[in-house]
Amino acid sequence: MTAAAPSPKANMGQPVPRYDAAAKVTGRATYASDMPLDNPAYAFLVTSAIAKGRIDRFDLDEAKGVRGVIEIVTHENAPKLKESKLFSNGGYAGTTIQPLKSADIAHDGEIIAVVVAESYEAAREAANRVKVSYTATAPSASFDSTGTTTAAAKGQNAQFKEDPAVGDFAKAFDAAEVKLTAAYDTPTQHHNPMELFSTSCAWMGDNLVIYEGSQFVYGLKHGVAEQLGIDADKVRVVNPYVGGGFGSRGSMTPRTAIIAGIAKRLGRPIKLVPTRDQGFTITTHRAETRQEIKLGANRDGKLLALRHEGAEVSSRADAYCVGGTKTTTRLYACPNVDSLVSIVRADRNTPGFMRSPPEVPYLFALESAMDELAVKLNMDPVELRRINDTNVEPIGGKPYTSRSLMACFDEAARAFGWAQRSPQPKSMSDGDWLIGYGCAATCYPTQMGPSAARVRVQRDGRTRVEIAGHEIGTGAYTVIAQTAAERLGVPLEKVAVFMGDSDLPPAPVAGGSNSTASTCSAVMMVCDQIRQRLFKAAMPAQSLTDRAKETVGLGQTPATQAAKGDRPLDIEKAFDALGVGVVEEYGEWKPEGAPLDSFRAMHNGQVRLVGGHAMKDQIAYAFGAEFVEVRVNRFTHEIRCPRLVGAFAAGRIMNPRTARSQLMGGLIWGMSSALLEGTEIDERNARYVNDNLADYLVPVNADVAGVEVILLSEQDDRINPVGVKGLGELANVGTNAAICNAIHHATGQRIRKLPVRLENIEV
Amino acid sequence: MSDQSSSRPSGFDRRAFMAGAAGSALMPMTARAAAQDASAPAAQDPSLPVEVTLRVNGKDKRLRIDARTTVLDALRDHLKLTGSKKGCDHGQCGACTVLIDDRRVVSCLTLALAAEGQEITTIEGLATDDRLHPMQQAFVDNDAFQCGYCTPGQIMSAVACVKEGHAGNEADIREYMSGNICRCAAYPNIVAAVKQAAPEIMKG
Repeated sequence: MTAAAPSPKANMGQPVPRYDAAAKVTGRATYASDMPLDNPAYAFLVTSAIAKGRIDRFDLDEAKGVRGVIEIVTHENAPKLKESKLFSNGGYAGTTIQPLKSADIAHDGEIIAVVVAESYEAAREAANRVKVSYTATAPSASFDSTGTTTAAAKGQNAQFKEDPAVGDFAKAFDAAEVKLTAAYDTPTQHHNPMELFSTSCAWMGDNLVIYEGSQFVYGLKHGVAEQLGIDADKVRVVNPYVGGGFGSRGSMTPRTAIIAGIAKRLGRPIKLVPTRDQGFTITTHRAETRQEIKLGANRDGKLLALRHEGAEVSSRADAYCVGGTKTTTRLYACPNVDSLVSIVRADRNTPGFMRSPPEVPYLFALESAMDELAVKLNMDPVELRRINDTNVEPIGGKPYTSRSLMACFDEAARAFGWAQRSPQPKSMSDGDWLIGYGCAATCYPTQMGPSAARVRVQRDGRTRVEIAGHEIGTGAYTVIAQTAAERLGVPLEKVAVFMGDSDLPPAPVAGGSNSTASTCSAVMMVCDQIRQRLFKAAMPAQSLTDRAKETVGLGQTPATQAAKGDRPLDIEKAFDALGVGVVEEYGEWKPEGAPLDSFRAMHNGQVRLVGGHAMKDQIAYAFGAEFVEVRVNRFTHEIRCPRLVGAFAAGRIMNPRTARSQLMGGLIWGMSSALLEGTEIDERNARYVNDNLADYLVPVNADVAGVEVILLSEQDDRINPVGVKGLGELANVGTNAAICNAIHHATGQRIRKLPVRLENIEV
Repeated sequence: MSDQSSSRPSGFDRRAFMAGAAGSALMPMTARAAAQDASAPAAQDPSLPVEVTLRVNGKDKRLRIDARTTVLDALRDHLKLTGSKKGCDHGQCGACTVLIDDRRVVSCLTLALAAEGQEITTIEGLATDDRLHPMQQAFVDNDAFQCGYCTPGQIMSAVACVKEGHAGNEADIREYMSGNICRCAAYPNIVAAVKQAAPEIMKG
């Protein structure tokens, strides 16, 4: 067994290899732009060189003269599209800025023309020959620009209903023995999944097939249908494999309906492969934030007052925000809490969710502040967390369904060797390198959404599972196959899983770490329907015993325990009794507390996630603790992170192999979020400067030395039938704070602005 | 208020250079097309297709393509070998890595015309007789990928990394595999996979 496949502990599944492993190592896994098209035309985008203003005139003569050009589409001749509302307002779109609608420009890099040609090379050349005259107005780029507007998120963002608060913060802070006030900044970041934002559209009569990497095929299908003004049943989105999502493919971008409209007009399939730099402006990003934290505590470290204020930049058109205070006000016991989230509007494209959208920026602030408070108190930062640990969140007084935060701290501290840390800053070194140890907590809400599934079993045990889930690298195929095999008692190799196709039964968006909990709960339920039919056939005269009821999934015992009954199902015998060749069941599952319109919304491609702090009588989060070692060169100020250790508890672990990989990738993302990633903005032009993979720094292999992932055994029967909390967005939270805490330990310097670069170190 | 007269199509500088290159540096190759064609003036037009024979995974493939077509686009759009991936088209990410005469090359920065007469090996040409190449098997065993998009490039790069003698220890593997970005960050598992496969590849 390799390190990649940890032995399962209690309440963990088997670390079987990925279902899609062979396809992925042989090049047979087909992503959107790999899909064969019959005689496609190639599209190339032209994007705006200004951030604000209008297009006066296009000069297309030279571009049209390029051999092979078929059509150049601008706002003057673009297909007419209907508007789609923002996803958070009941629509499907990630932005309401609709390019090619008028001469107006809302942000730099907005699509202003699409060149279609017989070849990619011709389309590209012609795009470079498109001449545009603009009337430009000075744009507002970000926080420090003139012309921005700022207002509270509450009241303008439909999903941000309340600024969490409890008790009397001002009074308690005033009276506190130890106080901390600190401001933290986090940068704009771009997802940069490896797969480009490709879209191919092919019409067959009135039916449209879209090949596009998506984290939500039902949302995209309905959104494009709405924009084109056609019946959603005529649109099919196909993407059996997605080359990374990280949030960038969760909501519809304007490009899809534009390409679909042009393909319809030309009567020919169109293939669009946008460039990497275009991806920075035609999709979304993580918005930059400015935050302030105030902590008041007594000398023993008990938190008495906490205030967290955050401001986030959004576009003029849309009031997007992540509002991470919903998590940071509930993580620790504290009787007096206040918070405020505001949105700053600038001439930018609308931001969107990026891996752990609220938690990455907001826990950077809170977990840095906790470390600063520990320093003020002269206290071990782990002990400060222990003193303020709680099983009841302070805002609504609801109990956590389960919470293994301190168990994670203790396990990770042991593995890391935290006890060897000398607490004084600048007290550890190795030659020219100052050494620092730091830690931070992580948490992520447990979320679930309604999901359907269809399962078909044949007499020989061959099983086919159909669900419009998404394989974005998480291991979705694998854990769904495992769930079906375990539940039906058939060998894993007999299970085939079909996903990434909007013609299959609907599943929720692959976002908010809800997929495993939602899709596996649905698949489990449908497998139980099949077991029930087969059992009834095999034992028609027998009344089912309680134990047998559990075995067929009718009992109240949590699914994870009921899966292995004492009465194994003889599938062949049941089939003989039924006298059929195939047993097929379809079912729809929804989580407890899901809104009444859940199933209708599910079929209409609308998200209805429940969980986290928004549950009725309880609150559900996954937890973890992260420890890092940094080394700062005392002469060059080079910063290295040789060790990342994380311990995580997230309910049932379906597959320790895929779970470990995802958490490992998350830890590296967290390191990157502290030391590498940040989109630089040219303030004069409201333009992203480092919009490519050489200048937008992401980790490479040489940046990553030692990563250790510890999976804690945890059972939680109060969240969903499979007992899964979701962990895709757990590990990259808090790491940024742990690294800055370690840098403080190494150098004595507190850094409150990300990313940390060597020029920020003043040893 | 200002009046600007520019658009911002992507990758302008490199593309402009390449468009220029097609008309100048590559003339000897397009000239061959001209020699085969009686209408010489038209054939000198760099936007006319040229004929090229690429040797891919041991087979000769004859193509009529735009002179500016990269090896990557020739493989993907003209030969239907879509295993090699486009992640940046700028030689920055490594997703398009193939072997050309056993050397690892970013196929997005290599013109197809320039690869004529050389042996191109892609991810599709690595497995033999339905048996995975040791590096492919090692990637499976060590879960050295998540979304899988960078994986073909990682594997081709890893095979070359071993053959170059750069897989002797973990630090070397990390350094010499750093031309291939994995955004899912499967890096520790990639290092483990290269370590596992290296002895077998060197042996055989």
